Amino acid sequence: MPAYTVKLPQFEGPIDLLLTLAQQGQVDLREVPLGRIAEEYLASMQGGVDLDEATEVLWILAAMIEMKARLLVPRDETPVEPVEPSAAPSDLQEQLEERLQEYRAFKEVSAALRALEEYQQQVFARPPAEDAGAVVLAGVTVDDLFHAFRQVLERTRERVGEIPAEEVRVADRIEAIEELLAAHPEGVVFEALFADRAGTLEVIVTFLALLELIKLRRVRAEQERPFAPIRIVSVSS
Amino acid sequence: MNGSALKPAVECLLFVAGGPVTVQRLSAALEAPPEAVQEVLRELTEDYAGRGLQVQVVAGGYQLCTRPDYAGVVQRFLGLDHRETLSQAALETLAIIAYRQPITRAEIELVRGVRSEHVLERLIERHLVREVGRRQAPGRPILYGTTEGFLRHFGLQDLRSLPPLRGDDPRGALTAPASVSGADPLD
Repeated sequence: MPAYTVKLPQFEGPIDLLLTLAQQGQVDLREVPLGRIAEEYLASMQGGVDLDEATEVLWILAAMIEMKARLLVPRDETPVEPVEPSAAPSDLQEQLEERLQEYRAFKEVSAALRALEEYQQQVFARPPAEDAGAVVLAGVTVDDLFHAFRQVLERTRERVGEIPAEEVRVADRIEAIEELLAAHPEGVVFEALFADRAGTLEVIVTFLALLELIKLRRVRAEQERPFAPIRIVSVSS
Repeated sequence: MNGSALKPAVECLLFVAGGPVTVQRLSAALEAPPEAVQEVLRELTEDYAGRGLQVQVVAGGYQLCTRPDYAGVVQRFLGLDHRETLSQAALETLAIIAYRQPITRAEIELVRGVRSEHVLERLIERHLVREVGRRQAPGRPILYGTTEGFLRHFGLQDLRSLPPLRGDDPRGALTAPASVSGADPLD
Protein backbone atom coordinates (compact mmCIF):
# COMPACT_ATOMS: atom_id res chain seq x y z
CA MET A 1 0.00 0.00 0.00
CA PRO A 2 1.60 3.28 -1.07
CA ALA A 3 1.94 5.63 1.86
CA TYR A 4 0.45 9.09 1.85
CA THR A 5 2.75 11.53 0.06
CA VAL A 6 3.74 14.71 1.79
CA LYS A 7 4.44 17.83 -0.27
CA LEU A 8 6.40 20.48 1.57
CA PRO A 9 9.00 23.03 0.50
CA GLN A 10 11.66 21.09 2.45
CA PHE A 11 10.50 17.59 1.66
CA GLU A 12 8.44 15.72 -0.83
CA GLY A 13 7.81 12.00 -0.48
CA PRO A 14 6.05 9.26 1.48
CA ILE A 15 5.18 10.21 5.07
CA ASP A 16 6.87 7.11 6.50
CA LEU A 17 10.11 8.16 4.81
CA LEU A 18 9.81 11.54 6.53
CA LEU A 19 9.53 9.76 9.89
CA THR A 20 12.55 7.59 9.14
CA LEU A 21 14.65 10.58 8.11
CA ALA A 22 13.56 12.47 11.23
CA GLN A 23 14.51 9.52 13.41
CA GLN A 24 17.91 9.42 11.73
CA GLY A 25 18.35 13.13 12.31
CA GLN A 26 18.50 13.92 8.58
CA VAL A 27 15.42 16.09 8.77
CA ASP A 28 15.05 18.72 11.50
CA LEU A 29 11.48 18.34 12.70
CA ARG A 30 11.61 21.85 14.14
CA GLU A 31 11.46 23.06 10.52
CA VAL A 32 8.58 20.79 9.53
CA PRO A 33 5.04 22.18 9.94
CA LEU A 34 3.30 19.05 11.28
CA GLY A 35 0.00 20.93 11.60
CA ARG A 36 0.03 21.69 7.90
CA ILE A 37 0.68 18.03 7.02
CA ALA A 38 -2.27 17.03 9.18
CA GLU A 39 -4.56 19.65 7.59
CA GLU A 40 -3.60 18.67 4.07
CA TYR A 41 -4.12 15.00 4.84
CA LEU A 42 -7.58 15.72 6.23
CA ALA A 43 -8.36 17.72 3.08
CA SER A 44 -7.22 14.83 0.90
CA MET A 45 -9.56 12.47 2.72
CA GLN A 46 -12.71 14.20 1.44
CA GLY A 47 -13.21 11.48 -1.18
CA GLY A 48 -13.46 8.76 1.45
CA VAL A 49 -11.48 7.22 4.27
CA ASP A 50 -9.01 4.41 3.80
CA LEU A 51 -8.96 3.19 7.36
CA ASP A 52 -5.61 1.40 7.11
CA GLU A 53 -3.94 4.45 5.63
CA ALA A 54 -5.59 6.82 8.12
CA THR A 55 -4.34 4.70 11.02
CA GLU A 56 -0.84 4.63 9.58
CA VAL A 57 -0.75 8.39 9.03
CA LEU A 58 -2.20 9.09 12.46
CA TRP A 59 0.43 6.88 14.07
CA ILE A 60 3.30 8.47 12.11
CA LEU A 61 2.10 11.98 12.86
CA ALA A 62 1.74 11.19 16.55
CA ALA A 63 5.29 9.80 16.63
CA MET A 64 6.63 12.92 14.95
CA ILE A 65 4.68 15.24 17.25
CA GLU A 66 6.24 13.47 20.22
CA MET A 67 9.73 13.76 18.75
CA LYS A 68 9.21 17.42 17.94
CA ALA A 69 7.89 18.12 21.43
CA ARG A 70 11.05 16.56 22.88
CA LEU A 71 13.20 18.78 20.65
CA LEU A 72 11.34 21.94 21.63
CA VAL A 73 11.15 21.40 25.38
CA PRO A 74 14.49 22.05 27.10
CA ARG A 75 16.01 18.84 28.40
CA ASP A 76 15.79 18.14 32.10
CA GLU A 77 19.38 18.21 33.30
CA THR A 78 18.61 17.23 36.90
CA PRO A 79 20.47 14.05 37.85
CA VAL A 80 18.38 11.13 39.02
CA GLU A 81 20.00 11.07 42.47
CA PRO A 82 18.55 13.85 44.60
CA VAL A 83 21.27 16.21 45.69
CA GLU A 84 21.16 18.32 48.84
CA PRO A 85 20.20 21.82 47.75
CA SER A 86 23.21 23.28 49.54
CA ALA A 87 25.68 20.89 48.00
CA ALA A 88 28.03 22.49 45.52
CA PRO A 89 29.38 20.22 42.74
CA SER A 90 32.67 19.80 44.58
CA ASP A 91 30.77 18.63 47.67
CA LEU A 92 29.19 15.87 45.64
CA GLN A 93 32.49 14.04 45.38
CA GLU A 94 32.95 14.43 49.12
CA GLN A 95 29.44 13.13 49.78
CA LEU A 96 30.04 10.05 47.66
CA GLU A 97 33.33 9.50 49.44
CA GLU A 98 31.62 9.86 52.80
CA ARG A 99 28.94 7.40 51.83
CA LEU A 100 31.55 4.92 50.72
CA GLN A 101 33.40 5.36 54.02
CA GLU A 102 30.19 4.76 55.89
CA TYR A 103 29.47 1.62 53.93
CA ARG A 104 33.01 0.34 54.54
CA ALA A 105 32.59 0.93 58.27
CA PHE A 106 29.43 -1.16 58.27
CA LYS A 107 31.15 -3.88 56.28
CA GLU A 108 33.95 -3.94 58.85
CA VAL A 109 31.61 -4.06 61.79
CA SER A 110 29.70 -6.87 60.07
CA ALA A 111 32.79 -9.03 60.49
CA ALA A 112 32.79 -8.31 64.24
CA LEU A 113 29.08 -9.15 64.42
CA ARG A 114 29.73 -12.36 62.50
CA ALA A 115 32.25 -13.40 65.17
CA LEU A 116 29.69 -12.70 67.90
CA GLU A 117 27.09 -14.66 65.97
CA GLU A 118 29.43 -17.61 65.62
CA TYR A 119 30.14 -17.62 69.35
CA GLN A 120 26.49 -17.35 70.27
CA GLN A 121 25.56 -20.19 67.93
CA GLN A 122 27.80 -22.49 69.96
CA VAL A 123 25.87 -21.61 73.09
CA PHE A 124 22.69 -23.39 74.06
CA ALA A 125 20.12 -22.41 76.64
CA ARG A 126 17.26 -24.61 77.75
CA PRO A 127 14.12 -24.15 75.70
CA PRO A 128 11.60 -22.12 77.72
CA ALA A 129 9.80 -24.30 80.26
CA GLU A 130 6.41 -23.51 78.75
CA ASP A 131 6.64 -24.27 75.09
CA ALA A 132 4.06 -22.10 73.38
CA GLY A 133 3.37 -24.91 70.93
CA ALA A 134 2.92 -27.59 73.57
CA VAL A 135 -0.29 -29.55 73.88
CA VAL A 136 -2.08 -27.86 76.75
CA LEU A 137 -3.83 -30.14 79.20
CA ALA A 138 -3.67 -27.85 82.23
CA GLY A 139 -4.18 -30.09 85.27
CA VAL A 140 -6.01 -32.69 83.19
CA THR A 141 -4.61 -36.17 82.91
CA VAL A 142 -5.58 -38.54 80.14
CA ASP A 143 -7.29 -40.62 82.86
CA ASP A 144 -9.46 -37.66 83.84
CA LEU A 145 -10.49 -37.18 80.27
CA PHE A 146 -11.18 -40.88 79.85
CA HIS A 147 -13.16 -40.96 83.10
CA ALA A 148 -15.32 -38.09 81.94
CA PHE A 149 -15.81 -39.88 78.65
CA ARG A 150 -16.92 -43.03 80.46
CA GLN A 151 -19.47 -41.04 82.42
CA VAL A 152 -21.04 -39.63 79.29
CA LEU A 153 -21.00 -43.08 77.77
CA GLU A 154 -22.80 -44.48 80.85
CA ARG A 155 -25.37 -41.76 80.56
CA THR A 156 -26.21 -42.80 77.03
CA ARG A 157 -26.30 -46.45 78.01
CA GLU A 158 -28.89 -45.87 80.71
CA ARG A 159 -31.43 -44.84 78.15
CA VAL A 160 -33.16 -47.43 76.10
CA GLY A 161 -32.98 -46.30 72.57
CA GLU A 162 -31.98 -47.09 69.11
CA ILE A 163 -28.61 -46.50 67.60
CA PRO A 164 -29.25 -43.95 64.92
CA ALA A 165 -28.64 -45.28 61.49
CA GLU A 166 -27.09 -42.16 60.09
CA GLU A 167 -23.35 -41.92 59.89
CA VAL A 168 -21.57 -39.54 62.26
CA ARG A 169 -18.30 -38.22 60.97
CA VAL A 170 -15.36 -36.89 63.04
CA ALA A 171 -15.01 -33.92 60.68
CA ASP A 172 -18.65 -32.95 61.32
CA ARG A 173 -18.22 -33.21 65.08
CA ILE A 174 -15.01 -31.12 64.91
CA GLU A 175 -16.97 -28.48 63.10
CA ALA A 176 -19.78 -28.69 65.67
CA ILE A 177 -17.36 -28.36 68.62
CA GLU A 178 -15.63 -25.42 67.02
CA GLU A 179 -18.98 -23.75 66.37
CA LEU A 180 -19.99 -24.31 69.98
CA LEU A 181 -16.68 -22.88 71.26
CA ALA A 182 -16.90 -19.92 68.90
CA ALA A 183 -20.29 -19.13 70.47
CA HIS A 184 -18.78 -19.50 73.97
CA PRO A 185 -15.38 -17.79 73.97
CA GLU A 186 -15.12 -18.36 77.74
CA GLY A 187 -15.29 -22.11 77.08
CA VAL A 188 -17.81 -24.81 77.90
CA VAL A 189 -17.85 -27.71 80.33
CA PHE A 190 -16.85 -31.06 78.91
CA GLU A 191 -20.38 -32.48 79.12
CA ALA A 192 -21.80 -29.65 77.02
CA LEU A 193 -20.03 -31.07 74.00
CA PHE A 194 -22.42 -34.00 74.01
CA ALA A 195 -26.05 -33.53 73.15
CA ASP A 196 -28.47 -35.13 75.62
CA ARG A 197 -30.00 -37.18 72.87
CA ALA A 198 -26.63 -38.23 71.51
CA GLY A 199 -26.33 -41.88 70.62
CA THR A 200 -23.29 -43.98 71.56
CA LEU A 201 -21.77 -43.57 68.14
CA GLU A 202 -22.14 -39.80 68.29
CA VAL A 203 -20.58 -39.67 71.76
CA ILE A 204 -17.61 -41.75 70.62
CA VAL A 205 -17.13 -39.74 67.47
CA THR A 206 -17.45 -36.47 69.40
CA PHE A 207 -14.82 -37.63 71.85
CA LEU A 208 -12.53 -38.55 68.96
CA ALA A 209 -13.17 -35.10 67.50
CA LEU A 210 -12.22 -33.52 70.83
CA LEU A 211 -8.97 -35.51 71.03
CA GLU A 212 -8.20 -34.50 67.47
CA LEU A 213 -8.79 -30.81 68.28
CA ILE A 214 -6.52 -31.04 71.33
CA LYS A 215 -3.86 -32.70 69.23
CA LEU A 216 -4.18 -29.95 66.64
CA ARG A 217 -3.89 -27.43 69.50
CA ARG A 218 -7.10 -25.76 68.45
CA VAL A 219 -8.72 -26.34 71.87
CA ARG A 220 -7.49 -26.66 75.44
CA ALA A 221 -8.81 -28.78 78.26
CA GLU A 222 -8.54 -27.22 81.72
CA GLN A 223 -9.29 -28.47 85.18
CA GLU A 224 -8.78 -26.26 88.20
CA ARG A 225 -8.30 -29.12 90.63
CA PRO A 226 -8.86 -32.88 90.67
CA PHE A 227 -12.54 -33.83 90.11
CA ALA A 228 -13.49 -30.26 89.21
CA PRO A 229 -15.43 -29.88 85.98
CA ILE A 230 -13.24 -30.03 82.89
CA ARG A 231 -13.58 -26.97 80.72
CA ILE A 232 -12.96 -26.99 77.00
CA VAL A 233 -11.73 -23.66 75.61
CA SER A 234 -10.93 -22.60 72.08
CA VAL A 235 -7.22 -21.76 71.80
CA SER A 236 -7.84 -18.81 69.51
CA SER A 237 -10.01 -17.04 72.10
CA MET B 1 14.57 -14.30 100.64
CA ASN B 2 18.11 -13.68 101.75
CA GLY B 3 21.28 -15.28 102.99
CA SER B 4 22.55 -18.62 101.87
CA ALA B 5 19.29 -19.67 100.16
CA LEU B 6 19.39 -16.82 97.68
CA LYS B 7 22.16 -18.17 95.47
CA PRO B 8 20.65 -21.65 94.94
CA ALA B 9 17.26 -20.01 94.39
CA VAL B 10 18.62 -17.69 91.69
CA GLU B 11 20.32 -20.68 90.11
CA CYS B 12 16.99 -22.55 90.01
CA LEU B 13 15.19 -19.67 88.37
CA LEU B 14 17.90 -19.26 85.74
CA PHE B 15 17.64 -22.97 85.04
CA VAL B 16 13.87 -23.08 84.55
CA ALA B 17 13.70 -19.77 82.67
CA GLY B 18 15.96 -20.96 79.86
CA GLY B 19 16.24 -17.52 78.24
CA PRO B 20 17.57 -14.28 79.72
CA VAL B 21 15.97 -13.09 82.98
CA THR B 22 16.35 -9.54 84.25
CA VAL B 23 17.59 -8.74 87.74
CA GLN B 24 14.25 -7.01 88.37
CA ARG B 25 12.30 -10.18 87.63
CA LEU B 26 14.56 -12.28 89.83
CA SER B 27 14.38 -9.70 92.56
CA ALA B 28 10.57 -9.57 92.43
CA ALA B 29 10.17 -13.35 92.34
CA LEU B 30 12.57 -13.91 95.23
CA GLU B 31 11.52 -10.85 97.23
CA ALA B 32 15.15 -9.94 97.57
CA PRO B 33 16.81 -6.56 96.96
CA PRO B 34 18.22 -6.18 93.43
CA GLU B 35 21.69 -5.47 94.84
CA ALA B 36 21.71 -8.85 96.61
CA VAL B 37 20.53 -10.62 93.45
CA GLN B 38 23.21 -8.85 91.46
CA GLU B 39 25.87 -9.93 93.93
CA VAL B 40 24.66 -13.54 93.87
CA LEU B 41 24.68 -13.51 90.05
CA ARG B 42 28.28 -12.36 90.16
CA GLU B 43 29.15 -15.21 92.50
CA LEU B 44 27.31 -17.74 90.37
CA THR B 45 29.20 -16.56 87.29
CA GLU B 46 32.45 -17.27 89.13
CA ASP B 47 31.18 -20.58 90.49
CA TYR B 48 30.54 -21.81 86.98
CA ALA B 49 34.14 -21.27 85.92
CA GLY B 50 35.49 -24.57 84.60
CA ARG B 51 32.02 -26.07 84.32
CA GLY B 52 30.02 -26.99 81.22
CA LEU B 53 27.50 -24.28 81.93
CA GLN B 54 28.01 -20.54 82.13
CA VAL B 55 26.00 -17.51 83.20
CA GLN B 56 25.76 -15.14 80.26
CA VAL B 57 24.58 -11.52 80.22
CA VAL B 58 22.32 -11.24 77.18
CA ALA B 59 19.55 -8.87 76.12
CA GLY B 60 19.50 -7.06 79.45
CA GLY B 61 19.20 -10.26 81.47
CA TYR B 62 21.11 -13.26 82.73
CA GLN B 63 20.87 -16.70 81.24
CA LEU B 64 22.23 -20.09 82.09
CA CYS B 65 23.62 -21.73 78.98
CA THR B 66 26.24 -24.13 77.73
CA ARG B 67 29.82 -23.18 76.91
CA PRO B 68 30.76 -23.02 73.22
CA ASP B 69 33.56 -25.55 73.82
CA TYR B 70 30.90 -28.24 74.17
CA ALA B 71 28.78 -27.16 71.19
CA GLY B 72 29.79 -30.28 69.30
CA VAL B 73 28.40 -32.79 71.80
CA VAL B 74 25.29 -30.72 72.44
CA GLN B 75 24.53 -30.50 68.75
CA ARG B 76 25.09 -34.20 68.24
CA PHE B 77 22.85 -35.01 71.21
CA LEU B 78 20.06 -32.70 70.02
CA GLY B 79 20.43 -33.90 66.46
CA LEU B 80 21.13 -30.40 65.15
CA ASP B 81 23.31 -30.24 62.06
CA HIS B 82 24.10 -26.59 62.19
CA ARG B 83 22.36 -23.40 63.09
CA GLU B 84 21.35 -21.02 60.35
CA THR B 85 23.76 -18.11 60.05
CA LEU B 86 22.85 -14.85 58.38
CA SER B 87 23.88 -14.12 54.80
CA GLN B 88 26.43 -11.36 54.26
CA ALA B 89 23.74 -9.07 52.82
CA ALA B 90 21.48 -9.73 55.80
CA LEU B 91 24.33 -9.11 58.24
CA GLU B 92 25.28 -5.79 56.62
CA THR B 93 21.68 -4.62 56.55
CA LEU B 94 21.24 -5.64 60.15
CA ALA B 95 24.41 -3.75 61.12
CA ILE B 96 23.13 -0.58 59.45
CA ILE B 97 19.80 -0.89 61.26
CA ALA B 98 21.47 -1.66 64.59
CA TYR B 99 23.73 1.41 64.53
CA ARG B 100 21.37 3.83 62.80
CA GLN B 101 17.99 2.91 64.26
CA PRO B 102 15.32 4.06 63.89
CA ILE B 103 15.92 4.04 60.16
CA THR B 104 13.80 3.93 57.00
CA ARG B 105 14.27 1.49 54.15
CA ALA B 106 15.34 4.32 51.84
CA GLU B 107 18.11 5.29 54.27
CA ILE B 108 19.31 1.68 54.47
CA GLU B 109 19.37 1.51 50.67
CA LEU B 110 21.29 4.79 50.49
CA VAL B 111 24.11 3.24 52.53
CA ARG B 112 24.07 -0.14 50.83
CA GLY B 113 23.51 1.22 47.33
CA VAL B 114 21.14 -1.62 46.45
CA ARG B 115 17.48 -2.39 47.01
CA SER B 116 17.01 -4.00 50.40
CA GLU B 117 13.31 -4.81 50.51
CA HIS B 118 13.77 -8.57 50.40
CA VAL B 119 16.61 -8.68 52.91
CA LEU B 120 14.59 -6.50 55.26
CA GLU B 121 11.59 -8.84 54.98
CA ARG B 122 13.73 -11.84 55.85
CA LEU B 123 15.15 -10.05 58.91
CA ILE B 124 11.63 -9.24 60.07
CA GLU B 125 10.59 -12.87 59.53
CA ARG B 126 13.48 -13.99 61.71
CA HIS B 127 12.38 -11.54 64.42
CA LEU B 128 15.70 -9.71 64.34
CA VAL B 129 14.16 -6.47 63.07
CA ARG B 130 10.75 -4.91 63.56
CA GLU B 131 8.80 -1.80 62.71
CA VAL B 132 9.19 0.75 65.48
CA GLY B 133 7.11 3.64 64.14
CA ARG B 134 6.84 6.08 61.28
CA ARG B 135 8.89 9.12 60.40
CA GLN B 136 7.08 12.44 60.36
CA ALA B 137 7.98 13.11 56.75
CA PRO B 138 6.23 12.95 53.37
CA GLY B 139 4.86 9.46 52.88
CA ARG B 140 5.31 8.73 56.59
CA PRO B 141 7.90 6.00 55.88
CA ILE B 142 8.13 3.04 58.24
CA LEU B 143 11.02 3.14 60.72
CA TYR B 144 12.86 -0.06 61.57
CA GLY B 145 14.78 -1.08 64.67
CA THR B 146 16.30 -4.21 66.15
CA THR B 147 14.52 -6.61 68.50
CA GLU B 148 15.45 -8.41 71.70
CA GLY B 149 15.94 -11.45 69.47
CA PHE B 150 18.71 -9.50 67.75
CA LEU B 151 20.53 -9.05 71.08
CA ARG B 152 20.13 -12.74 71.83
CA HIS B 153 21.28 -13.81 68.37
CA PHE B 154 24.57 -11.98 68.89
CA GLY B 155 24.83 -12.50 72.64
CA LEU B 156 24.74 -8.75 73.30
CA GLN B 157 23.78 -7.28 76.64
CA ASP B 158 22.25 -4.20 75.05
CA LEU B 159 22.74 -1.89 72.06
CA ARG B 160 25.54 -0.04 73.86
CA SER B 161 27.62 -3.21 73.81
CA LEU B 162 27.65 -3.35 69.99
CA PRO B 163 31.20 -3.45 68.66
CA PRO B 164 32.43 0.11 67.97
CA LEU B 165 31.78 1.41 64.46
CA ARG B 166 34.78 3.11 62.86
CA GLY B 167 34.40 6.89 62.62
CA ASP B 168 31.30 6.77 64.71
CA ASP B 169 30.21 6.75 68.30
CA PRO B 170 27.26 4.37 68.44
CA ARG B 171 26.25 5.79 71.80
CA GLY B 172 25.78 9.19 70.21
CA ALA B 173 23.71 7.77 67.39
CA LEU B 174 21.54 5.71 69.67
CA THR B 175 20.77 8.37 72.21
CA ALA B 176 20.08 11.05 69.57
CA PRO B 177 16.42 12.11 69.71
CA ALA B 178 14.62 10.19 67.02
CA SER B 179 11.64 11.67 65.24
CA VAL B 180 9.47 8.66 65.81
CA SER B 181 5.80 9.38 65.73
CA GLY B 182 3.27 7.53 67.77
CA ALA B 183 3.72 4.91 70.42
CA ASP B 184 5.68 1.78 69.74
CA PRO B 185 3.05 -0.66 68.45
CA LEU B 186 4.77 -3.67 69.96
CA ASP B 187 5.50 -2.51 73.45
